[in-house]
Amino acid sequence: MLTDAMGLILADNRRIQLGALNQPRALAAVPFAGRFRIIDFTLSNMVNCGIKRIGVVALTRYKSLMDHVGTGSWWDLDRMRQGLYLIPPYINPVTRAPDRTDAQGIIDYVESGDQKYVFISASDYVSNVHYRPLLDSHKASGADMSVYYARDGKKESALSLAIETDEDSRITGLMVDFPYSASELNAFGLLVIEKDLLIRILTEMMARGIADFSILGLLQLYDRFNIRAVEHKGLLFRIYDIRSYFEASMSMLDDEIRRGLFSHDRPIYTKVKNEAPCIVSPESGHVDNVLSSDGCVIMGEVKNSVLFRGCVIGRNARVTNSVLFQDVQISEGVVLDHVIVDKNSVIKMGGRLLGQPGYPIVIGKNSIV
Amino acid sequence: MAKQEIIAMILAGGQGSRLGVLTDFIAKPAVPFGSRYRIIDFPLSNCMNSGIETVGVLTQYQPLELNSYIGNGHSWDLDRNNGGTYILPPYLSQEGNDWYKGTANAIYQNIPFIDGFQPSYVLILSGDHIYKMDYAAMVAHHIEKKAGATIAVIEVPWSEAPRFGIMDTDEHDRVIEFQEKPEQPKNNLASMGVYCFSWEVLREVLILDENDPGSKNDFGGDVIPGMIERGLDVFTWHFDGYWKDVGTVGSLWESNMDLLKEPSAINLRDRSWPVYSKNPQRPSHYFGPKAVVNNIAVTDGAEIFGEVENSIVGYNVIVEEGAVVRDSLLMPGACVKKGAVLTRCIVGMNTIIEEDVRATPDEPGDAFMSPLCEDDITVIAPGLVIRKGARIAGNSMVGPGHAKTHPDRVAESPNQVRREMELC
Repeated sequence: MLTDAMGLILADNRRIQLGALNQPRALAAVPFAGRFRIIDFTLSNMVNCGIKRIGVVALTRYKSLMDHVGTGSWWDLDRMRQGLYLIPPYINPVTRAPDRTDAQGIIDYVESGDQKYVFISASDYVSNVHYRPLLDSHKASGADMSVYYARDGKKESALSLAIETDEDSRITGLMVDFPYSASELNAFGLLVIEKDLLIRILTEMMARGIADFSILGLLQLYDRFNIRAVEHKGLLFRIYDIRSYFEASMSMLDDEIRRGLFSHDRPIYTKVKNEAPCIVSPESGHVDNVLSSDGCVIMGEVKNSVLFRGCVIGRNARVTNSVLFQDVQISEGVVLDHVIVDKNSVIKMGGRLLGQPGYPIVIGKNSIV
Repeated sequence: MAKQEIIAMILAGGQGSRLGVLTDFIAKPAVPFGSRYRIIDFPLSNCMNSGIETVGVLTQYQPLELNSYIGNGHSWDLDRNNGGTYILPPYLSQEGNDWYKGTANAIYQNIPFIDGFQPSYVLILSGDHIYKMDYAAMVAHHIEKKAGATIAVIEVPWSEAPRFGIMDTDEHDRVIEFQEKPEQPKNNLASMGVYCFSWEVLREVLILDENDPGSKNDFGGDVIPGMIERGLDVFTWHFDGYWKDVGTVGSLWESNMDLLKEPSAINLRDRSWPVYSKNPQRPSHYFGPKAVVNNIAVTDGAEIFGEVENSIVGYNVIVEEGAVVRDSLLMPGACVKKGAVLTRCIVGMNTIIEEDVRATPDEPGDAFMSPLCEDDITVIAPGLVIRKGARIAGNSMVGPGHAKTHPDRVAESPNQVRREMELC
C-alpha cells in the first residue's frame, strides 16, 4: 500500500489528437473497451496501489470528464479526508483568458497533501500497472524523478519519447517523436517525484511563464535532474492517434490480453450506469468475437467488434471490425466495416460505411448518418 | 433522526424454502435474478424511484449475503445523510424480544425504529417479488381515500384466484372481506403483499395483535383480516403491470424467461425507472469466435465460447467452447466446461459444471429428483462441482448434501469462498 503517495492525473495532452473522438472531450474521457474511459485505468491503478488522494488536471472540454468521475465514489474516492480533487484551469477574471497561474491549482493541490511522493500520470496509455516497483526503484536509486518505459520504441511509428540511459538507468538523452531513433526504450506517462521538488519545478515554470505542464516537460529537465528510467514489462497500450486507438480497442478481443488487463485481483472500476442486461434477440445473425456491454440489443450480425453500453444493432445489419460508442443506433440493413461511431450517433437505414484496416472511418458524437 | 413523511420496511427475512438448495445459505431476496440483479433490487429500486429514501430491511434467515450485498445502500443511491438503508435484524432486550415470529411481529419489534422518523405513512413490502411500482401513486391514493390501510391488488384470472389472498371490495374500493386462498373466490383481486399504512393506525393495530395470544402475527393472515373485521378503513389500490412472485423453482425460472419472451412487460430498459443493482465491476461480456448465441440476456464479465440459447447468463459466467446451454439460468460466476450439455437447468452461483456433464430432461435416473422441481427444471446448488461426465435427470435438485451421498458425481467447490469474496 502506497500510503505515502498522492496521484496527479493529467487529463489532456496537447500533443495528441484523436480527431472527432477527443474533440468533444478530454483525452482521459475517451471511451475504451466497451464500458470504460481511459482515465478509469489510471484511477483504478492508483486506488489498487493504495493511493487515496488523487488530483485530476483538466485543461479544456472537461464536462464529459467531470460527469464521468463525479464524486469519485466508483473508485472509493468520495472521502472526507483525501479523495478526488478536480483541478480545472484558472481563467483571469479581468482578461477572461486562461491565466499564467495555470499551475497554481496544481501547486495548491500538491502542497496541501501530507504525502511525500507524487505519482504523475498522463492519459495517453491504457495499462494495469503496479506502481510499487517504480517507487521502490526510485527510493533505492536516490533519483530526483523516476519514469516507466517500455521496450516498444522501434515499433511505435508516431509519437514517442525515446530515451537513452547510462549504466545506472539514468536518462542521458531524449528524442521526441523521432522516427529513426536508435533506442527502443520508450518512456510512457507515469512518473514519480517528491512533493517538494515538484513544487519547486512548478513554481519555476510559472516564473518563466511556461503554461504547459506535462510528463514531456519534466523529462526534458534530464540534464538538470537525476531522472531514472524503470522498465515496465506488462501490457501497455499507447493511445496517440486514431489508428493506435483502434488497434488497442481491437486487442481487447484477445482472451489473454483482456484477462490480463482486467485481472480479478486488481479490478478496473468505472462509473456504473444501471443498464439492463444485453439482449441477443432470436432474429440476430452470427455474433462472434464481440465485446459487448449492458443495455445493448443485438438483432443483426456482429463480428470482430466492440459495442459500448446501450447500442442497438437493427435487423439484418452487419457490423464488422468496428467500435460503437454508448447508445449508438444501427438501423436495419446497415453495413459497417472498420468504423468508429461516437456516442449517441444514428446510422440510418441502408447506410454503408466501409473503412480500411488501419484507417477506420470515424463518425463524430451525436451524428445522424 | 429527521422526520420522514414516508418510510418503507422490506420484509427480507424469509427462507424461501420452496427454492430448495438455492436458499440453503442465502435469504430469498438475495437470490440472483435476470442476469445482473438480485430479487431485492426490485423493491429497493422502486423505493428510490418513488422518492422514498428511508428503507428498513428486516433480515433474519441467512443474512450474511444479503447484508453484504446491500452494504450502505450506495448502489441504489440509498446512502443518505437523512434516512437511507437500515438493516434490521432481530435483537434481544430486557422485555425478552426474540426472533421475528411473523411479518407483523417483525414490524412490531421495530416500532422504536419507525417512531424515530415520526412518519405519517409506512409501506410494508416483501422482498421476493419482481415488479416495478410507483409507491408514491399508491400513497397518494391512500391519502385521498383517508384510508387506515391500503393494499395493492392485481387482477388475476378467476381460475387462478384460489392460489392467492383475495380481496373482495365494494364499488368504492373498500375491502369488505379478505379470503386467503379461497376455494370459492368472491373476487379476482389478489393481494400483492404491498401495504401502505397510516403509522398511527398501524402502530395501534400491531400492539393489539401482539397482545392477542391466538394471533400468528402475520400481516396477511391476522393483521389485515383483523382490521377489516373491526371496520377500519381498508382500501385497495389497483396495479396493472408486470408482477411475479418468484417463490418456487418454476416461477423463478418462468419469471427469468419472461425477460426474453416479453421484454417490454417489465421493461428493464426504461431509463425513467431504472432497476439498480450492485455492480460487479468487470469488463464487458465477450462472445468468442465460435460462439453461437440466440435469444439470451447477458451481462458484465461473462465469456461465451460455446452455444447458448434461450437462457439468462449472469455476470462472470463462462461457457466454454463445445458446451451447449439451452433454456437455462446460469447464475453469476457459474462455469460450464467443454462438451457439457444443460437443458432447463438453474445453475447456482460459482458452480462448476465439468466436461461432458449432461443435465437434460431426457437423462434417466432419479437419484436427485425433488418434489420442489417441476416441468423438467433441474436446480444445481451454488458452490458445487458437477464432476466430469456426470448424468443428471430432469426435475433434479442437486445440493451440497449430494457431495457425500454421490461423490462420484458431485463435489463441493474448493475455491467457493475465495470466489464469493471476489464477487462481493
